[in-house]
Amino acid sequence: MRARLARHRGAVVFFGLAALAPLFVHDAFFLDSLILILLWGALSAAWNVASGYAGQVSLGHAAFFGIGAYSAALLSTRWQQSPWLGMLVGVIVSIAAGSVIGYLSNRLRGPYFALSTIAFSQVLLIVASRWRGFTAGSEGIPVPFRPGFSTLGLSHPAWVYLALSLALLYYLVQLYFERSRVGYQLAGVREDEDAAAALGIASRQLKVIAVMLSAALSSIGGTLWAQYVGFVDPFYVFSVDLSVRFALNTIIGGIGTAMGPYLGSIFITSLETYLRATFSGKTGYAGGYLVIYGCALILVVRFAPEGLTGIAARLRSRFMAIAR
Amino acid sequence: MDPARSLGPAQIEALAQLAVSTVLLGGIYALIAVGLTLIFGIMRVVNFAHGEFLMLGMYLAFWAFVLWSVDPYFMLVIAIPLFFLVGLLTYALVMRGVISASHNVQIFTTVGLSTALQNLALVLWTGDFRVVRPWHSTVVLRVAGTAFNLSQVVAFLIAVGLTLALFAFMKWTRTGRIMRATAQDREAATLMGIDTDRVYRFTWAIGIAVVGAAGALVAPLYAIYPTAGLQFVLLAYVVVVLGGLGDMVGAMLGSLIVATVEVVGSYFFGAAWKEVLYFLLFIAVLVFRPAGLFGQRGAETLGA
Repeated sequence: MRARLARHRGAVVFFGLAALAPLFVHDAFFLDSLILILLWGALSAAWNVASGYAGQVSLGHAAFFGIGAYSAALLSTRWQQSPWLGMLVGVIVSIAAGSVIGYLSNRLRGPYFALSTIAFSQVLLIVASRWRGFTAGSEGIPVPFRPGFSTLGLSHPAWVYLALSLALLYYLVQLYFERSRVGYQLAGVREDEDAAAALGIASRQLKVIAVMLSAALSSIGGTLWAQYVGFVDPFYVFSVDLSVRFALNTIIGGIGTAMGPYLGSIFITSLETYLRATFSGKTGYAGGYLVIYGCALILVVRFAPEGLTGIAARLRSRFMAIAR
Repeated sequence: MDPARSLGPAQIEALAQLAVSTVLLGGIYALIAVGLTLIFGIMRVVNFAHGEFLMLGMYLAFWAFVLWSVDPYFMLVIAIPLFFLVGLLTYALVMRGVISASHNVQIFTTVGLSTALQNLALVLWTGDFRVVRPWHSTVVLRVAGTAFNLSQVVAFLIAVGLTLALFAFMKWTRTGRIMRATAQDREAATLMGIDTDRVYRFTWAIGIAVVGAAGALVAPLYAIYPTAGLQFVLLAYVVVVLGGLGDMVGAMLGSLIVATVEVVGSYFFGAAWKEVLYFLLFIAVLVFRPAGLFGQRGAETLGA
């Protein structure tokens, strides 16, 4: 048991601190940052399932996020339904869309697959922003705040626990992909698909299932995000920037590791919040932090492809060697 | 009004106008796409930052026009060598280290470059929409019932000239042959004494120079803002995949197809929906003919 916990020391510390924080800190700004760190971390973990564990690098995951965001917003504003029902609808639609994308992943590799995912999210962006009668078009949808758990009108501490449960659940899903038979099979497919197929691994089905699961998880995150933030803007929820953000968090933290997306999210989200607060109002600095992200992404994939978790592991082993 | 049913003079005029618009648009799209396909064909890298270099070309034209009142089309004389240098610089700083890395590393390197450049533009020049209106952008030419804008015609002619020049360069010069040889077989080219690093550096710089020039060309025709490159580059991906990634002739045909879809689609369904049409076309091509309409089957799954 102790050895097991030790392996997840980072996760225990992170999730534990997040769980304790609302008990001691009541500052709305801090809690807001924490919720966003958890939500973005969970969404990046969802991306990690398809792109990290199954090796299907997507630049269109905003599509599933947007489906989740829109499903709940439309159901609650048009038909006065609970956002939980919207979440379920979003998951069903995303799984259907994910099966299409998953099918594409069997025909296309590398940059071709990434391009097709961008095209897919752009189609949804155009439909959402132009179909005025149904989606309210480019104006977006304000999500009304109705207090109560069934309408997801929650206080900051309640949102922390909701986001934390999501983050924890996605962490466990990733662990499953790390430790289970399916996970090892997918690792085999990722490293050499032909060899894996020759060994009798159903590589095609596995990839499609991983992409579908990843789509469903992204959709749930999208629903929660939209309900938390209270506004759905088609140009944001379906943007390539957003898809890149999921990738960025995961790669900086460590792609294909369960803790990576969360580490990346802590780093990126807090940097963003800090720089925004510092430079808000000063025109011209709006995109400053994104310049840093872009450069960070280039440097990380080149010099530390295993991300922060990889760097941490390297430092630890060096430290152990010295201590010995 | 169904033009197929009643072909009166008005319908023929509309048809002629559509045809002219298609060709003018297609010529410009070809120039944007040709650099992308060149870089892919030779370096096997999809440049996700291609649109950002186009955007920088647009801003160069804008500032030259505002600060020194230089016409965007005269600016090409400076834009092409300048973007060639930008290409050399980005190759040395960014691309050189990842040229033999995995697809994923290359994808995220160019995605990172795209994010950095896009937001650098946002920091430097804000997100405001800018327009360049030189004298020729308001001149309308009327020929046999069709009307078009002088800027568009000039942009088209220069774009076609540059595309053909690049094509001739690849086909008939020694350097072009060396580049094609490297594209065919990297290892064999190395064994023949070709310095592939130099080939890649040169290819990247030419690709960037061409798309920078395209940026200056479209500057008088479209609004200029930090993410302006995205709409063009998405279109360029469609063009390039239609024509087969790496195939220059295919890119020219692909740009005509995309321009046709765009022009005819806007005519029948309204401008708002034309993009949906070409993305659906794109996905359909990816599903049914992933190596492009004219390419060999299987190229896309070989990891190319």
